[in-house]
Amino acid sequence: MLPTFSYVRPDKLEQAVKHLETERAAIHAGGTDLLGCLRERIMDTRLLVSISGIKELSGIKEIAGGGLRIGALTTISAIAENKLVRDKYPGLARGAAEVASPQLRNQGTLGGNLCQKPRCWYYRGEFHCLRKGGNRCFALKGENQFHAIFGHDNICVFSHPSDTAPVLVALGADVHVLGPSGKRTIAVADLHVLPADDVLADTVLKQAEIITHITIPAPARHLYTSYRKVRARRSWDFALAGAALALVMDGPRVARAKVVLSGCAPVPWPSIAAEQVLTGRNLTPEIMAKAARAAVAAAKPLAGNEYKVAMCRGMLEEELQKAGQGGSR
Amino acid sequence: MTSNDKIYYREGIPVPETPAAENSPDFWKKTTIVGKALPRVDAYDRVSGTALFPSDILLPNMIYGVILRSPHPHARVKRIDIAEAQKMQGVRAIITGESAEAKGITWQYRDQQVPLFDPHCRFEGEVVAAVAADTWYQASDAARAIKVDYEILAFVADYEKALDEGAARVQDKGNLLNEETYERGDIKKGLAQADLVLEETYHTPCELHTPLELHGCVANWERDRLTIWESSQGVYAVQAKIAQALALPLSKIRVKGHYMGGGFGSKLSPGKYTVICSLLAKKTGRPVKLLLSREETYLCVGNRPATTMRLKAGIKKDGTLTALEFECSGPSGAYPAGGAQLVDWLARDLYQCDHVRTSSKDVLINAGPARPFRAPGHPQGAWALEQMIDALAAEIGMDPVELRLKNIPLRSQARAENPPYTTTGLRQCLEEGAKEFKWQATLKEIRNHNRKEGHRKRGIGVGACLWIAGGGGPPSTVILKMYKDGSINLNMGASDIGTGTKTVMAQVAAEELGVNPQVIQIEHADTATTQFATPSGGSKTVPTEAPTVRNAAISLKRALLAMAAEDLEVAMEELEYVGDEIVWSKDRTKKIKVTDVSRLNRRGEVIGVGYRGPNPADKVVNPFAAHFCEVEVNTLTGEIEILRFLGVHDSGRVMNRLTFDNQVYGGIVMGIGLGLTECRQLDESQTGKLCNKNWHDYKLPTALDVPQAMTSLAVELDDPECNNTGAKGLGEPVTIPTAAALANALYMATGVRFTRAPISPMAVTRELSKKKKG
Ligand SMILES: Cc1cc2nc3c(=O)[nH]c(=O)nc-3n(C[C@H](O)[C@H](O)[C@H](O)COP(=O)(O)OP(=O)(O)OC[C@H]3O[C@@H](n4cnc5c(N)ncnc54)[C@H](O)[C@@H]3O)c2cc1C
Ligand code: SF4
Repeated sequence: MLPTFSYVRPDKLEQAVKHLETERAAIHAGGTDLLGCLRERIMDTRLLVSISGIKELSGIKEIAGGGLRIGALTTISAIAENKLVRDKYPGLARGAAEVASPQLRNQGTLGGNLCQKPRCWYYRGEFHCLRKGGNRCFALKGENQFHAIFGHDNICVFSHPSDTAPVLVALGADVHVLGPSGKRTIAVADLHVLPADDVLADTVLKQAEIITHITIPAPARHLYTSYRKVRARRSWDFALAGAALALVMDGPRVARAKVVLSGCAPVPWPSIAAEQVLTGRNLTPEIMAKAARAAVAAAKPLAGNEYKVAMCRGMLEEELQKAGQGGSR
Repeated sequence: MTSNDKIYYREGIPVPETPAAENSPDFWKKTTIVGKALPRVDAYDRVSGTALFPSDILLPNMIYGVILRSPHPHARVKRIDIAEAQKMQGVRAIITGESAEAKGITWQYRDQQVPLFDPHCRFEGEVVAAVAADTWYQASDAARAIKVDYEILAFVADYEKALDEGAARVQDKGNLLNEETYERGDIKKGLAQADLVLEETYHTPCELHTPLELHGCVANWERDRLTIWESSQGVYAVQAKIAQALALPLSKIRVKGHYMGGGFGSKLSPGKYTVICSLLAKKTGRPVKLLLSREETYLCVGNRPATTMRLKAGIKKDGTLTALEFECSGPSGAYPAGGAQLVDWLARDLYQCDHVRTSSKDVLINAGPARPFRAPGHPQGAWALEQMIDALAAEIGMDPVELRLKNIPLRSQARAENPPYTTTGLRQCLEEGAKEFKWQATLKEIRNHNRKEGHRKRGIGVGACLWIAGGGGPPSTVILKMYKDGSINLNMGASDIGTGTKTVMAQVAAEELGVNPQVIQIEHADTATTQFATPSGGSKTVPTEAPTVRNAAISLKRALLAMAAEDLEVAMEELEYVGDEIVWSKDRTKKIKVTDVSRLNRRGEVIGVGYRGPNPADKVVNPFAAHFCEVEVNTLTGEIEILRFLGVHDSGRVMNRLTFDNQVYGGIVMGIGLGLTECRQLDESQTGKLCNKNWHDYKLPTALDVPQAMTSLAVELDDPECNNTGAKGLGEPVTIPTAAALANALYMATGVRFTRAPISPMAVTRELSKKKKG
């Protein structure tokens, strides 16, 4: 059962920001994540500020130079189906298509997808864990088969649920934010917060800040993008291990490599080690295997998720093979 | 089953006898309506939303009930403070163990009686208090506002540790609930005779029932008479249990079932919630609706218990099975619920084997009690036995289909006197299935494929089964009423739990009475207006009710023949009922249309009553099946794709091809859940609480997890002895060998024996890494 709350639906961005300055207010976009959180009483929200009436927040446009501007309220299915997205960044369309289920993709938005709360079952259940202000992480010693193998520092070990964020990080995208003190721009790569930095924060957004849109730089010539997700069932499930690739090819050679893992860390996890192996090299079977090995070399699996190391390596190796066959795209 | 079998779906309800069936007709040689792929009689209502389920019931002045439940797996309620909750808006009643209404009211968990509100909470989700308020939200808010002081007690959640020294005690008498053994022949001798002995330990997870409609009911009192609309598999089971709990005469409780949104065994009986809802309705003088949330159903109203099985098997080089030694254990939960019930049945009875010993241990843990789950015990037992048969076949170099064919018994070896089966289509299921599946050709193809490089490997697998019950039997009483216009009312107590019971019964009546199934209106599942029926479960509804409907039709026809004899002025014995006419056998031009019979027109209606006759005295009626599947495994990522599935079933006569195939597909999907995706996860080492109490964390297979290529093949053997329709049960065998067939296919693809279900990509990568390391 949902707790009691008030609800407003302004049609101007500035009004929304004003409302959000109220104590215990939260943004309501598609509501697919938020309503679940309220039902599970994860946060004590008293005012929902719906941004669904603010027209300027939706839509996908090409911007000067050939990049894209995607409104925060754009639905996940609109992104998966959009021709510009599919042409320029097939990996992003793929990432969007891999999200949740058709119903959720029709209702969920990109802004909400980037800001969704952890899917750790302790966090979502009746467990007063560290991230909810309690004094222990239940997953650390408990049932952690779905949890992180990187970046958790044994503090809070969930793995970030978003399938769009890793691709946006790989593409070097920015989020544009409006708040009480005006506009600012944040790289998607800097949006999410590691537990070691602040276990209570999911993103660097401050109270009353709204993501208005996301911009993606123009695709480089011969940019290859992809997203791959391994999960326990084939729909309506989060990643056990996944990877976004953005490779700028120069013939058979990888000129620039971005490899961002999903399902593996509390934030989208750029695999610098794999990128280093790939950069400047031809995509030979040896290099691919070496990059995949490098990606997991520093993994810190927990008692229940050792399997993720092999899965992540295998998944990445297969994805790189596909990239090798796909050549420059 | 034989009439002597004790069977779970009758547990806890007194079963009356029915009068002997007179004039039971002979087996049909040919049918015209029965067997046809007729759409469901209620298809339009289901699809358009005019079908009313208990969840849809909305009565004038109705209010809502909510139950407050223990958040701890083991705790004692010390104090309950309802002061604040009582003052909240809309609240009309709060009941706790201290309330006058609850005093002396008990609940039966099988043979154990406990107070309805037991201060000793032995599982997360046990009831603590209940609220009725004007809206569901008000009731929920008030329930949250009740303050409870708990003394938190040590718990045990891992059934494999329940019998350890020092394990927390769920009940004073200890955690071993029951131990059962069975033996025939001499196991030592059997093992000594073997050329090869294999031993393996297998695990299946705890599965949670997930019917679409939640458990719950609406209760309404009119003075001293209580009416309950319950989402149930059997209205009479609800009536009996509530009469017992509230000490009311049966006549004062009316339970209506009609439509219900699935149960899979978890709705064979009502729950504490039914009693609580009735008490709230009584206290407030209002109709009360009390539906559980999904989280509550996952905690409290049943599960298929996890099992650990150790199987040791001996075989000769020629494929003769010489010994089966089977040990299993599983948890009932916090109260007796048959935690290891029937798990050993397939080891006892499926294959010819002279030396068999089995033992089953049922243990207590601090978790919700189990309830029967589609084919209780059998899919678990098949998981072990059918993988073992596969492993034996590989070791002696025999084809797994061949090895099964080699060991088919024609008698039930596990029952006293070794009664024969009326029919056993196991051989046909395997032979015709292997042919349809192209088993041999695929095998070659796959061997070639897997020899090539590449990380996608393929495999095929087979599994076979029988189902212990599925013969149906008495009691059952059905009344058919024909109106003077020839339209018909069919009145039966049984529930249609979504399997198409009503449709099949309409076909049976239409077959006999020569009418269009469309003119048959069915009244069912209402204790006030229909006759006693056991709950719909155990794959027994069609073989129980269909012969009864047929007998009722015969009784109706006899009444009509007697009436027509007056019109035609000939002896009744010389008349025949043909289509919708009654014909004189001596001169077929002398005939009358049924609707023209004078006395029928004067009386306006005529009634026929049918009773279910007994099953054959010294024979067993069981359905048989074999499942075949093909899978592809991505050995880099552990992902599994099921390429195709074939279900081959001997369930006697196919009564309706559509509902038949539907059961097969549904059973396969459910079996895929057991084999690949589903698993209740308790936080065993820390809090004992349920981690995955929602549909995202408890992973039912989705449409993308099941193959598009699913085929259902019926082995339709004539079975004139089982009952006068020749139909055996189907609803449960369809899910028994599925998971094991998958495991066998995955073995072929990977070379790994997955002894622990579910086989998720996690398990595959884990096992493949282990294998690589050696
Ligand atoms: C069962 C289930 C399965 C799922 N599976 C997947 C999956 O496989 N992969 C995946 O990536 N996601 C998955 N999701 C998450 C889903 O994609 C997100 O819920 C959805 O994208 C969120 O969008 P929304 O508009 O509904 O957000 P809301 O629910 O409205 O909001 C989510 C959060 O973001 C905040 N927020 C929303 N918009 C903004 C904004 N513009 N600026 C700042 N903050 C904002 C809200 O305050 C809230 O905290 C799943 C969700 C569910 C319920
Ligand atoms: S992983 Fe994080 S969210 Fe989950 S229990 Fe630990 S602290 Fe809480």
